[in-house]
Amino acid sequence: MHTLQKVFATGLLSLGLIHSAHAILPIEKLDPYKGAKVYLVQTKTLPMVDIEISIDAGDRYDPSGKSGLADMTAALMSYGVRGDKGILTEAQMADEIADLGANIGISAGGERAVMRIRSLSRKDLRDRAVQLAATMLSSPLYDAKILEREKQRSITNLLEAQTKPEFTLERRFKKMVYGNNPLGDSPTVKSVGAVNVADLQQFHKTFYRGDRMIVSIVGDVSRSQAEEIVQGLLQKIPASGAAIAPLPPLPRSPVEPFSEREIQIPFDSQQAHIAMGMTAIPRNNPDFFPLLVGNYILGGGGFVSRLMSEVRENRGLAYSVFSYFAPGKDTGIFQAGLQTKNEQAAIALEVMSSTIANFIAQGPSPSELMAAKSNLVNGFPLRIDNNRKLLDNVSSIAWNELPIDTLDVWTKQVEAVTLEQVKTAFQKYLAMDRMKIVVVGAQNKVAPQ
Amino acid sequence: MRSNLLRISFILFLFAPLSWAASTQPVDTHEFKLSNGLKLIVREDHRAPTVAHMVWYRAGSMDETNGRTGVAHVLEHMMFKGTHQVKTGEFSRLVAAVGGRENAFTSRDYTAYFQQIEKSKLEDVIKLEADRMSNLDFDDAEFAKEIQVIMEERRLRTEDNPSSLLNESLMATAFMSSPYRHPVIGWMNDLVNMKAADARDWYRSWYAPNNATVVISGDVDPQQIYKLIQKYYGPAVAHELPVRKPQVEPPQKGLKQVQVKAAADNAQLSMAWKVPRLEPGKLDDPEPYALELLTAVLDGYDNARLNRVLVKQEKVVNDIGVGYDMVSRGPELFLIGATLAKGKTIDQAQASIRKALEELKQKGVLESELKRIKVRILSEQIYKRDSIFGQAMEIGTNEMAGFSWKDIDYMLEKMQSITPAQVQAVAKKYLVDEGLTIAVLDPQPRKVEVAKEGK
Repeated sequence: MHTLQKVFATGLLSLGLIHSAHAILPIEKLDPYKGAKVYLVQTKTLPMVDIEISIDAGDRYDPSGKSGLADMTAALMSYGVRGDKGILTEAQMADEIADLGANIGISAGGERAVMRIRSLSRKDLRDRAVQLAATMLSSPLYDAKILEREKQRSITNLLEAQTKPEFTLERRFKKMVYGNNPLGDSPTVKSVGAVNVADLQQFHKTFYRGDRMIVSIVGDVSRSQAEEIVQGLLQKIPASGAAIAPLPPLPRSPVEPFSEREIQIPFDSQQAHIAMGMTAIPRNNPDFFPLLVGNYILGGGGFVSRLMSEVRENRGLAYSVFSYFAPGKDTGIFQAGLQTKNEQAAIALEVMSSTIANFIAQGPSPSELMAAKSNLVNGFPLRIDNNRKLLDNVSSIAWNELPIDTLDVWTKQVEAVTLEQVKTAFQKYLAMDRMKIVVVGAQNKVAPQ
Repeated sequence: MRSNLLRISFILFLFAPLSWAASTQPVDTHEFKLSNGLKLIVREDHRAPTVAHMVWYRAGSMDETNGRTGVAHVLEHMMFKGTHQVKTGEFSRLVAAVGGRENAFTSRDYTAYFQQIEKSKLEDVIKLEADRMSNLDFDDAEFAKEIQVIMEERRLRTEDNPSSLLNESLMATAFMSSPYRHPVIGWMNDLVNMKAADARDWYRSWYAPNNATVVISGDVDPQQIYKLIQKYYGPAVAHELPVRKPQVEPPQKGLKQVQVKAAADNAQLSMAWKVPRLEPGKLDDPEPYALELLTAVLDGYDNARLNRVLVKQEKVVNDIGVGYDMVSRGPELFLIGATLAKGKTIDQAQASIRKALEELKQKGVLESELKRIKVRILSEQIYKRDSIFGQAMEIGTNEMAGFSWKDIDYMLEKMQSITPAQVQAVAKKYLVDEGLTIAVLDPQPRKVEVAKEGK
């Protein structure tokens, strides 16, 4: 990091001062409808609108033995609905969405299912896109034949994925970090095979309701047009339903001997894939900013992070090396990783471990902290410079229950982070004797059969 | 059977689309040329206080020679390793310090470098980028480390990736003499034997203002940008570029086939036909546009022909996709790639693809199908303007293939004029066995503990 001194001397850095006529566009919080919260950012320059519906119906709600259910419940919404005027087949739906010049997609992740609509803002086109999306959300057909077809496709993809080192790594790592928490489960051939139409209907009925939804809208629509959109979307959605038991909290990764935390999976790929990590924080944790700034220095900052410098620049051990925190509405994880040819897996793991251990123990240097803040603050406009990025931000604020002025004070919060805060936060949440480690490939190469 | 609702929607929507494009603001683009040959294109977009700054060199893997495949991409990596004034690694630190996001990419046709930045910091990155156009200076030790990184990149992207291996063999089989037959990242043995001098030679040969185009999009004033570019890129000295031999691929004289054995669970099938591309100066040639539309008719939306018939109805493939890009420097392929459904054979998948193509050749495409595709193209014209970076990308790729940014709108208009008969005609003319190459992935078991994976 010595070269940074020179940078400061040349006066290239102007920390934290963004002089711009562009104010941050306001996020408007509209009245809830059917129990769903509604957020809007009006952008008038392009005749288009992006709409996102977040549904608290992620795959962590998959019942035991039916991993893949949340995903299938969401995916099949595109494959046939019961509309006002009868059934619309998957072919009719796809044709009509194409005719509108619109995109409508829905998929389930760990915490939430997300539907995204992109349409031109012209009223007739937009209205019809919203109407189609509303029917998908409220009245999916869940045709048994289509379910069979999609299960088979899903299983085929799964079998293929199992031959890939990166998939094998991610699945095992997830299981190790989340343990018995539902977020640790991944779909298997058996669990996908067990999903039936009644499961889809039940899951849809239980989770797809107004009080579990958030609507975020960015684009060329007024407040009243946005209200119209929301009413159109949620018209046929029930406002609430039976109480749903809360999920168990995610306990912190325990201190364990190395042999309990580490696993090697023999794999005959040319490269070993390595992951290391543990439980961390939810997004609304007040230590989010010290961890964000700290991780930029450790492994988040593109070509200039410590991990990149130690593993790639100084030793040529890997093409890609990174670390990140993935905080959600609930506790998320910290993960670091790299890929390297099998023969040097041990040394690469050692360099990665010692770099992380050293950072937890010592924290960053003053010049590193300054460089990190400089990047994050000066680069802030790049986080909000188009409709899609604005939508990502609004949706994150809404889902993670963050203050509505989050974007307005974002750079101030970055600037306020101190060396001590970074060090304290890393020591509070991360610990080397709690880190799970998965190595796929590496030393234990299986002998040819 | 279509519902009433759907019929109404056809009337309402399908005959309106041409007015959409007219309703948007015209884009504001400016072109300049420096006396050293550097071309500058500025796209004004004042929606947000950010800028994309890109430099495109018209030197890609198609300009490489045997034994040195991959050198264009190797040099791309070495461009971050210092100049006379900026030490190794410092380029990225300086860009990061002003809040920039940066990267670079190499293709068969070009090598490009970019930074995305808040507008008041633009001059800082222009200064850095202009510096490494003329003053690159890395030592052998840096090269020795970086070539290891690049070999890791090849292991990650290609050696352990059966789809990439299949594609590599497909290209090497389809093309006999065109340099398109080589992978952009290079053959592993060429990387093993690459020397720092190879990278330096490449830099001296191709990195010159008269082989570069700067594209800047975002919240900028074109005249001010022109002055900045003159100030920093102006001193770069033009030099004569190496002679580019045409290396025109001879006509294919019959079906070619290749098989790749690699660790996978599922067989894959690729069918690639030699087809024309759009040539600069011949913007009115209907065939490339018709081939683009044919691509979309087959694969442009969820209910497009191949997905509908092969994935949903016959269930003979698990996934299917079509690739064709009429804008490129080198020879083009019309490529259909599929992953097989469980229990289906390559022969079955191939027969189904051929049947779908035959039906299209015999009966043509529907007017409604083609209109649907054209509507999507029009709406995408508006959506693409949401991305400042995407606009610079579009300009750069077209310029590198020998077109002007001014041609882009003309191409889109031309696309709207293509008829169903023209789409049918290119299918009949080009999707024939004389120009076909078939590549098949024959899956081999990986030695892996799958048993422990289940729960």
